[in-house]
Amino acid sequence: MEDVIVVEGLTKRFGNFVAVNNIDFTVKEREIFGFLGPNGAGKSTTIKILITLLHPTSGSAKICGYDVVKEPYNVRKKIGVVFQDRSSDRVLTGRQNLDLHGRMYTMSKEEREKKIKEVLRLLELEGVENIRLNSLPEGVRRRFEVARGFMTNPKVVFLDEPTIGFDIKARRDLWSQIKDAKEKEGSAVLLTTHYIEEADYLCDRVAIIDHAKIVAIDTPENLKKSVGTMLISFQIGDKNGNGLSYFIDRVKRLDWVIGVLKDNNPIILKIEKGEGRVLDLIEFADKIGFEIISIDEREPNLEDAFLYYTGRTIREAEGG
Amino acid sequence: MSEKIEFKRKFTEIQPIYSMWLREVIRFFNMKPRVISTIVQPVLFLALLALPMSKLFHGAPPEMEQTMFGGLNFFSFLVPGIVGIGLLFGGTMSGVTVLWDKDFGFLKEVMVAPVRRTSLMLGRTFGGLTVGMLQALITIGVASVFGIWYGFKISSLSGFLLAIVFCVLTFFIFSCFGIILGGLFEGTEGFMAFVNLIQMPLFFLSGAMIPISQLKGVPVLYQIQFINPLTYGVDGLRSALTGSTPFFPIWIDIIVLITVAVVFLLLGAYTFSKMEVD
Ligand SMILES: Nc1ncnc2c1ncn2[C@@H]1O[C@H](COP(=O)(O)OP(=O)(O)OP(=O)(O)O)[C@@H](O)[C@H]1O
Ligand SMILES: [Mg+2]
Repeated sequence: MEDVIVVEGLTKRFGNFVAVNNIDFTVKEREIFGFLGPNGAGKSTTIKILITLLHPTSGSAKICGYDVVKEPYNVRKKIGVVFQDRSSDRVLTGRQNLDLHGRMYTMSKEEREKKIKEVLRLLELEGVENIRLNSLPEGVRRRFEVARGFMTNPKVVFLDEPTIGFDIKARRDLWSQIKDAKEKEGSAVLLTTHYIEEADYLCDRVAIIDHAKIVAIDTPENLKKSVGTMLISFQIGDKNGNGLSYFIDRVKRLDWVIGVLKDNNPIILKIEKGEGRVLDLIEFADKIGFEIISIDEREPNLEDAFLYYTGRTIREAEGG
Repeated sequence: MSEKIEFKRKFTEIQPIYSMWLREVIRFFNMKPRVISTIVQPVLFLALLALPMSKLFHGAPPEMEQTMFGGLNFFSFLVPGIVGIGLLFGGTMSGVTVLWDKDFGFLKEVMVAPVRRTSLMLGRTFGGLTVGMLQALITIGVASVFGIWYGFKISSLSGFLLAIVFCVLTFFIFSCFGIILGGLFEGTEGFMAFVNLIQMPLFFLSGAMIPISQLKGVPVLYQIQFINPLTYGVDGLRSALTGSTPFFPIWIDIIVLITVAVVFLLLGAYTFSKMEVD
């Protein structure tokens, strides 16, 4: 399959501050590719370069073979964009916004009507298209922006944090709508998010991005696998005041413990699969003067992968 | 080969320009307060400014009034001036709509469309122009009604059409001026403060309220009138609309306005193309 996005050595500096640091990645046709990273990681900056709103400091980026700096006009014809912040005209209705968008892309009247009908159905917006956006809830307005992003047969759709501020139910709904729209329109999607579940559920491949750098790119499955086969995570209390580092030091030497993923509460250990690990650990902790408050044995998830590659949880990275 | 693509691109940009125009017009009619103020404002200006002021010459011999105002009575003299206020205010306000779009994020959406920024700017200028012309026509219409009692009359059909040309040019100039300012200011507050400041001298030193020649004895103020584009707009408009003698020859008015319009359009297009969005 063809690559619709090819990025090589892309760097963006604002003064001395490096917002995007020498990143490389490719996105295949019809793929959903996710940028998973905390606030300020450089996700939106990368998108702004790819959609021709910002010039890179160095490196190159091509969309469908067109260079984003040298051939911005051709790039723009191939893409749809859903910005992180609002970008519709709220004095107009949803349909008027979509119709104007179609005109900007020089679609004929028949094409516009056909496509508007199609995206309204895909994003489940039928019935509210003639209401001014001002009087609609934020989530509905967001769906109109997504609908607009898919309207012009784009080869690539950029979705910058599409579900930010959504509740769980609305988020799940939008995920499946995005999947349907992408299937129907045959577009590739580059999506940014700091929601683990969003990356896991939606993306064919995920790039973990932190401090302006891509630290890993793979399928969610492989990213999880790279952490290990089994994890045990637990909250621990220090009964005798020996200190957590003493505990870590001792537990590392158990023969079924492969490594330490996280050395503060809740502690996470990489372990070999086997029977009775939970009980063994509780006993062991008790023996050396610690108590286990809660414990969970599980396979690695994407959150663990983030921790594995960046050395911190995404919540820590957000400064929360 | 590449020339062919370029040609096609220019040609097909008529639709994006049209879509920007359409948006301005739909927006206008979607905002009822704007529609109402567009209609009410000229009526108020005529009723509260032109009518009372024309009473200044009540009882004076008509010849005195006519020598002072180029053959017109004061009311007829003021009507084109009031049309001019509308063009100045309305045009400059186009700049603030660019800032609103920046604040409300819509600018990003159009900036990533496969459309030249010059086309985007032209489209919105035409949109503003349409609304501005609507207001100018309402002003002239209402003035003609008042004119039954106050002696204002449109001189001829050709004069009226020429007046429209002057209105278009004047509005266009201030619309580009507004967009240039919109590019210089980050937020709406700074822009509005500056516009309010600059609109006063532009308006009072344009011959809209006081004949240009009346300021002859006042050094700086007299000269400022000559570098103010509104002066030429109102001068041409007044002469075309009422058949009075213009201060400058009418072709001078036209040439000055066209020149300024072209320069401002280029500057405006440049500002718009350099405008940062994020
Ligand atoms: N125009 C700019 N000038 C200076 N610094 C900037 C500019 N734009 C972004 N930055 C900085 O670059 C960094 C990356 O910003 P970016 O918006 O790409 O982050 P992000 O990954 O999208 O995060 P978020 O989840 O907050 O949207 C941030 O620290 C931001 O402050
Ligand atoms: Mg962002």
